[in-house]
Amino acid sequence: MNLGTELFGFAFQYIDSIAFLILSAIGLSIIFGMMGVINMAHGELMMIGAYVTAYSIHNGVPVPIAILFAGIGAGIAGVIMERLIIRHFYKQLLSSLVVTWGISMVISQLFLVLFGPTMESLRTPFSTVRILIGGDIGFAILGPESFSALAGASGRLPPGVESFGIYRIIMFVMAVLLIAAIWALMRYTEFGGRARATMDNPKMANALGINTSRIYAYTFGLGSALAGIAGGMFALTASITPFFGAAYTAKAFITVVVGGSANFITGLIGSVLTLGAVQTIFTNMFSVYIGFVGMIAAAFLILLLMPTGISGFIERIKARSK
Amino acid sequence: MRQQKAGLLGFVGLLNGPQTMGRGWLFWGSFVVVVFLAYIAPTHLGIKPYKVNEFLVSGFLAASLSILWGYGGILSLGQAAFFGIGGYTFGVMGINLWDVTGNTHLAFLGGILVPTIFAAFIGAIMFFARLKGVYIAILMLVLSLLFETFMLQTADPDVYSIGKAMLGGSNGLRPASDIPSAAFGWGDAVAEFNGRRVGFYYFVLTLLIAVYLGLRCLLNSSFGYLLVAIREDPDRTATFGYDVRLIQLAVFCIAAALAGLAGSLDTARINRVDPELVFGVSANIMVVIWVAVGGRKDLTAAILGAITLEWMFLWLTTSGNPEYAQIVMGGILILVMLIAPEGIFIFLGNRLGRLYARSAALVSRQEGD
Repeated sequence: MNLGTELFGFAFQYIDSIAFLILSAIGLSIIFGMMGVINMAHGELMMIGAYVTAYSIHNGVPVPIAILFAGIGAGIAGVIMERLIIRHFYKQLLSSLVVTWGISMVISQLFLVLFGPTMESLRTPFSTVRILIGGDIGFAILGPESFSALAGASGRLPPGVESFGIYRIIMFVMAVLLIAAIWALMRYTEFGGRARATMDNPKMANALGINTSRIYAYTFGLGSALAGIAGGMFALTASITPFFGAAYTAKAFITVVVGGSANFITGLIGSVLTLGAVQTIFTNMFSVYIGFVGMIAAAFLILLLMPTGISGFIERIKARSK
Repeated sequence: MRQQKAGLLGFVGLLNGPQTMGRGWLFWGSFVVVVFLAYIAPTHLGIKPYKVNEFLVSGFLAASLSILWGYGGILSLGQAAFFGIGGYTFGVMGINLWDVTGNTHLAFLGGILVPTIFAAFIGAIMFFARLKGVYIAILMLVLSLLFETFMLQTADPDVYSIGKAMLGGSNGLRPASDIPSAAFGWGDAVAEFNGRRVGFYYFVLTLLIAVYLGLRCLLNSSFGYLLVAIREDPDRTATFGYDVRLIQLAVFCIAAALAGLAGSLDTARINRVDPELVFGVSANIMVVIWVAVGGRKDLTAAILGAITLEWMFLWLTTSGNPEYAQIVMGGILILVMLIAPEGIFIFLGNRLGRLYARSAALVSRQEGD
């Protein structure tokens, strides 16, 4: 395998890892950034999204609309959760952590009772279209026929050629689009202005006539909807179980914690760029497990150097340069 | 700081101090009655030791999270990590040392010390970096899950074995038949406690009472006052000249030692360590549920919470619909956090105390007339 192929493979894995981290953490980071609440039921909201997606697709709904439904479903679940329970715990960080953990346990067990241990898996969209790199081919995007013609009866590709799925790239594009959309929402809309005011100084915002309680409910709903969308997208690549979310939450927590709550967009971007790199490098050098350990070690190190997370660090540098 | 009386009176004073709920004759009277009932329970009340032994072991774990979270204000969502490390250490040392020593003194010592040393290491990093409470809670949970993932991929005995003990991946520590039960003494005078028998019940019950009384003394000493001061306002405590981080590290290590003890006892009880059961999410969340529901800010309430909830959980899993057991547990947690955030037993204790005070006032007024 030549250097170019290897570098491209590396870049592809990096992009894949970034997309994974952004999608699983974006909803969590909005809720943490806005309200300082770490929502331990985040994975279960993703799971709800996955179930809605799977149910919709099995009933003939096209994939993009099914994922939209997932967002709506999880968003509604999130608002209900917030109004019923979480709003009583805003001033109590650790209690909110514990109570959302209780919610997560109830939701996942409830789904286990209602829908059984697994749901019929979904086909990954465009799974037959693949990007090939290396060997004599150089670079090519192949559909199913030409792919099987190339791979031959053995199903094995010629030496030195690596193949990547298109859906991974779609996920990355989607992740970037979501971040851009959230940024625009916060920057240009009235809701965004009110939300930023609430985040900055809730009492002052309230005194100026902003219904902060409603802003919190909407923010929580938004974060939950993003979790649902992420769950829907992941549902197309993984098997769907009531404990589906658990695989993503640990990494989502680390991403959010490393990002910090000073500015969740810069925090999230900084965090996924660093952690994604660490994960890719360590996974390539050793194993998937060491990749995860490396991520946690990096998170520890970053928090030691920047106790308020990457975004807090950036804000401080900005403040100093002014 | 309060003046401590010397000698035996001082000890009694510490037992009865204001940091722990339950003072006066009513509490100690019922304490004696409960302890008495607990001792005669297997022989006279028809309680099956093989069932309740587990609850008693949970009591240590609940005590450990209570002093850490309730008194110290440091929530750890991964307290079972130390439980698991203790369990594995006890198992590995027990398997290897049984033929040499014929008892489990060293295995218990290791099961307590190894988690403590690990806690000292992790805690030193976390507290001296002044990590925020939320971060500590999450990082501890992630750490526990990390141990679970690691242990799950240790199926290869050629790589992952320590002496005669094989880590065994998802099957848990092997050879399971060589994991010893609790055994104390030397030579011919070794007392061995089978985890399913009544001997183990008496052993753990006595140990739990001793640890409970010891912790009461600790919490009512100046160390306990300091802990609560840090919980209430770390900055103000620091301005009084105390090193907050050092105290936090100390309580983190004590909690880890207790969790390690619980883990060792549990391994000795069932002669088995299973990575998913000791390091997994549900192991960690159950500890938090016991302590939050019972009452985290009081040792007695936390231990009672563990024992009653474990009892209830067993009853739910054995009576028809085990799949609802966890839903009920989670539901109880949410309800208690909403209605009585301080915890059920603290809520009841406060009510009882107020009732008692009111009736006492009434009596003294009548006597005055």
